[in-house]
Amino acid sequence: MQPLANVTPLKPPARAGAIEVKNVGQVFRGRSQDVVALEDVSLEIKPGRFVVLVGPSGCGKSTLLMMMAGLRQQTSGTITISGAPIPQPDPDRVGVVFQEASLFPWLTAEDNVEFPLALRGVPKAERRAKAQDALKLVGLDGFGKRHPHELSGGMKQRVSIARGLVQDPPVLLMDEPFAALDEQTRMTMGDELLRIWAATGKTVVFVTHSLTEAVYLADEVIVMSARPGRIVDHLQVQLPRPRTYEMLSGDAFGSLRDRIWRHIRKSA
Amino acid sequence: MNARISAKTLRFLIVISLIALWELLPRTGLIPELFLPSLSSTLIAGWTDAGEYGHALVVTLYEVVVSMTFACGGGILLGAIVGSLPRPRVLIMPMVSSLYAVPLVILYPVFTVWLGIGSESKIAFASIYGFLPTMLATAAGIQTIDPQLLLAARSMGATLSQRLVRVIIPAAIPTVLSGLRVGGALVIVGVVVSEMLISSAGIGYLISRYRTILDSPHVFAGVLLVLFLAIAFNAAIRWIERKAAIWQTGTRAGQANDEINSGAMQPAT
Repeated sequence: MQPLANVTPLKPPARAGAIEVKNVGQVFRGRSQDVVALEDVSLEIKPGRFVVLVGPSGCGKSTLLMMMAGLRQQTSGTITISGAPIPQPDPDRVGVVFQEASLFPWLTAEDNVEFPLALRGVPKAERRAKAQDALKLVGLDGFGKRHPHELSGGMKQRVSIARGLVQDPPVLLMDEPFAALDEQTRMTMGDELLRIWAATGKTVVFVTHSLTEAVYLADEVIVMSARPGRIVDHLQVQLPRPRTYEMLSGDAFGSLRDRIWRHIRKSA
Repeated sequence: MNARISAKTLRFLIVISLIALWELLPRTGLIPELFLPSLSSTLIAGWTDAGEYGHALVVTLYEVVVSMTFACGGGILLGAIVGSLPRPRVLIMPMVSSLYAVPLVILYPVFTVWLGIGSESKIAFASIYGFLPTMLATAAGIQTIDPQLLLAARSMGATLSQRLVRVIIPAAIPTVLSGLRVGGALVIVGVVVSEMLISSAGIGYLISRYRTILDSPHVFAGVLLVLFLAIAFNAAIRWIERKAAIWQTGTRAGQANDEINSGAMQPAT
């Protein structure tokens, strides 16, 4: 945990897993001109919610996610995770799952999951035990000794999720984690993710291009506009859980998806 | 025999038949012994002068090992710097790439003027000869590391030195090894060729000297020795590759590398 010395406790500290984004802007300094990637973005995410960010390509949704992860600093505004700013990556507070290919191909699945623990010198036995628990959670019990090239695309993403969860952070950020998977695997992985989410109670922020995926997974969908990225809509998805495939063809599902699509078509 | 023959047995059969042809063609008189002495007379020539060849092998091996240390050590070091820092890359890369196209053997006479005709001039020449591909491969290997891997490591809290040791080095190993393979082969070529040109010792020198007196069996004994040297080097690299780059097995990248390597090894001097 980062020392909180420079944070004045004006209000009681937010619960672990809360995310607050206030008036955040991001400007990329270009050679000839500056590009405004994000402009005045504010949102509040309560602990344990499953929130999906959607928007046209280049709307800055991944940039916003990178800032929540501490991998990039905003030009203006503030971001707090569990009540404290995040000036650099902090795997105790935030786990990140990237697109495919972010597993280290020279390490076995369990070594990949142990990687963040190894970085901070956690003893081998403890590491192994935690990695086994994480792999069991994502349904990969017994696959720990395999290398990534011996795993299918879906299994690789399960390992990535296990790696993001191994330090038990209250927040899990996911940057188009299933984009490289085929349709069937993608649906299965969505259900798997919902199961893991329900079992762990994490706050999940999930970036995707797929509107169906967005509505199927989310408690809340945040729609962003093309550059400069702004929030144009914030929908509550009231569909009951557990979500089922039958809902995909229902009216409630369709009208939510249409509403998002209209925003995106307007700004694209 | 069944039509099902594995590639391995087939390769073995090809080598065996080549050896048999080497023995039979000169024996039957189809090829004059001056052009191609039979395998047995080559081996006998080598055996009777084993002391001379042994001494030459020691000299050549010494030159190869020292040159390889310079070529590979320097190539990896400079390649890592050039690959990771954009500024030296802009300065050095164009020079290195154009130098790569120059037949470096033209420098060898200059080296003999500077360093004499002993081992030093061979080591200097072979080191530079093998240095370039090693350096280029290392630079390429580091430049082509998937930035997603570095980002992922950073998101897990990896410091700069942890990223270097745990991500950059292991990720670069396969490309660096393929550079070593080409660079090391060129070192052997460089040593033997320079020995053949201007020299007083080594296998290349023996080959060249016996050729001037038209003693073909002794020439071929030297050729055989160089052949074994190259094969041994190749086997050693393969062993290292298997140990260090296990993660590449079964990937398309690994197979593609193999093809590129075998292609790159053909054009020697």
